[in-house]
Amino acid sequence: MTQPANRKRFTVPIGPQHPALKEPGHFAFDVDGEIVQSASVRLGYAHRGIEKATESRTWVQNLYLLERICGICSHIHATAYCLGVEKLAQVEVPPRAQAIRSLVAELERIHSHLLWLGVAAHESGFDTLFMYSWRDRETVMNILEVMTGNRVHYSANVLGGVKYDVDDQQAATIREGLDFLEERTLHYLEVVSTDSLFLQRTRNIGVMDREAAQLSGVIGPTGRASNVQRDVRLDSPYAAYADHPITPVYETTGDLLARFVVRLREQLTSIDYIRMLLDHLPNSPLTTRMPRRVKAGEAISRVEAPRGELFYYIKSNGGDMPDRIHVRTPTLCNIASVAQLVIGQHLADVPMILVGIDPCFSCNDRTSVICQDGQRDMWDWARLRQYGIDHYGTHYTKDLG
Amino acid sequence: MMELLQVLVTMLIFPAGLFLLANAMIYQWIDRKLVARLQDRVGPPWYQPLADTVKLLANEEVLPHGVNKWLFIGLPIIGLAGALTTALYLPIAGLPPAYGFPGDLIVTVYMLSMLTLCLGLAGANTRDRFSMVGATRTLTQLFSYEAPFLLALLGPALAAGSWQLSDIMAYASGNWLLFTQPIGFVVVLIGLMGKLEITPFDAPEAETEIVAGALTQYSGRGLALFRLGQWVELVIGLTMIAAFYLGGIHNPLDYVIKTLFPLLIIAALQTLMTRLRIDQTVGMWWRYGALLALVQWLLIFLMGGGQ
Repeated sequence: MTQPANRKRFTVPIGPQHPALKEPGHFAFDVDGEIVQSASVRLGYAHRGIEKATESRTWVQNLYLLERICGICSHIHATAYCLGVEKLAQVEVPPRAQAIRSLVAELERIHSHLLWLGVAAHESGFDTLFMYSWRDRETVMNILEVMTGNRVHYSANVLGGVKYDVDDQQAATIREGLDFLEERTLHYLEVVSTDSLFLQRTRNIGVMDREAAQLSGVIGPTGRASNVQRDVRLDSPYAAYADHPITPVYETTGDLLARFVVRLREQLTSIDYIRMLLDHLPNSPLTTRMPRRVKAGEAISRVEAPRGELFYYIKSNGGDMPDRIHVRTPTLCNIASVAQLVIGQHLADVPMILVGIDPCFSCNDRTSVICQDGQRDMWDWARLRQYGIDHYGTHYTKDLG
Repeated sequence: MMELLQVLVTMLIFPAGLFLLANAMIYQWIDRKLVARLQDRVGPPWYQPLADTVKLLANEEVLPHGVNKWLFIGLPIIGLAGALTTALYLPIAGLPPAYGFPGDLIVTVYMLSMLTLCLGLAGANTRDRFSMVGATRTLTQLFSYEAPFLLALLGPALAAGSWQLSDIMAYASGNWLLFTQPIGFVVVLIGLMGKLEITPFDAPEAETEIVAGALTQYSGRGLALFRLGQWVELVIGLTMIAAFYLGGIHNPLDYVIKTLFPLLIIAALQTLMTRLRIDQTVGMWWRYGALLALVQWLLIFLMGGGQ
């Protein structure tokens, strides 16, 4: 990571605007020829102030706001929020609703992993795999549309249950789609593990062993590719996972190939799990009564998002609005590992290593405490706004002048 | 007067000028459409390359800070001119070449490399980091495929016993060198893919790492001319392959069929493969490409082809 001081650094910036990144994030790579010497990560280009905004909305309104933290794993955000609020309100969700929550979550996982497969293939220049996997992703999006009427923000959750039921006809449609997806996933698994050119770009690239992965706190499929045996669905079961445990997927090699294989095999276990859920859907109402005001107290909820563990902290002071909601998305845990993984790698492998953790930047950005001159104090909206005006004002004048 | 008019027509309309540009645009579209259909996409309409070119020519050409102005403007023109000039020595559209002299094979091959050299210089001329990395990769790639490509192209010349394109083509029209020199055919075809910087040899313009490589700073006319140059190279390369390996070109219909066949192979290979890293590209060419070309030479000599 160290460079001779007298040597001028050649830094390749990736982001905040760059074709490899569909979302804004900044990575600076110091390269010597094609080899990366050091890397730095800067986030915060897509901060939206959602946590703060939750404090001025009711419990029900927040459901829709929090679902929009992520466009890909929207359902799991709503689930995490619902689980936390229901814990606070001491409401028991009916079993059928729990099963449907898990059902949609697993469909969402397939949708997210297929999207990732396409993006990762595109980063390596394998556009055919990109086009094919995104075409097949339409199938799972159509299934979600059949179930909920929406392809992206399904809004399946309500506080105390779910909105949508699955009837026999829908179940048949889902099964039909799953058969197709299983066939395609097996095909992609074969492609990524046998295509010799593609293996040149993935095997032994960006290797992270178990110790390194635990040291940098990597979670989710990225961790499981390095044999970090953590899965919230098993460690702390929620929704239907308590009654029907999921089969976890681990790989030991920890390279890019393992990250491909883990995600594709997870799709297969998700497909099996959905079939099993459809066979064992319990009979019960879909919702239970939820109070408008939630008892004062604090709760945390953890769920396994497609990218890893998603963590919610919810505090209520007994009103109809939350006192504080804090969200920690899986990308925040994983992103630091990129800066270490890329060192010594070729510049050409950097986009794939970066995408290998399945980053989601706008879910990730948040502002918490601003320390200036050793002083630490709470800033109100007016002061934050003024800070923003001053900050960007000086930047613009610098650029123009 | 008539002579001057004839020269002007040769230079500006057929085979080198407008005709070749139109041909290049159509072939570019066929390539894009084929790849799109193979990837289960719709693909662009037939006029897309023309529309792109017209739009780029109408756009403002931004001159970045810190570049040599004459180089920045001149390099695309020289590159395109080099690619167009080669058409004078080739049987474009199945008609006999306009000019020819002993050794024009070498001139043709080097005229084709001019564009790549111009591309490398254009990238190194700007101060942009993506352009610099792109230029380094373009030139590195040039040094990796150029020798095997040239060695393989000399195979037909050895068999024909002449370094003049018209002699080689006369020899090749009687013999399908695809069958007598299959290794050389493969090396030339893949060499052409390297020259055109298409997948799997698109590391010099890998958009996910270095945006547009050497051309990142180019806009407007410069970009249009460079793009046109690359498309012209595609046509020239396909014509050479058809004339050398596929039994020669005898009439326009022959030309269309025999140039579209290698284009189909290129499109299929492009679809099937992922991008190679630049070190893998260099390794592949020197480890296998050069070796294969030399094996082909050896076979030619052993079979008594070299006169």
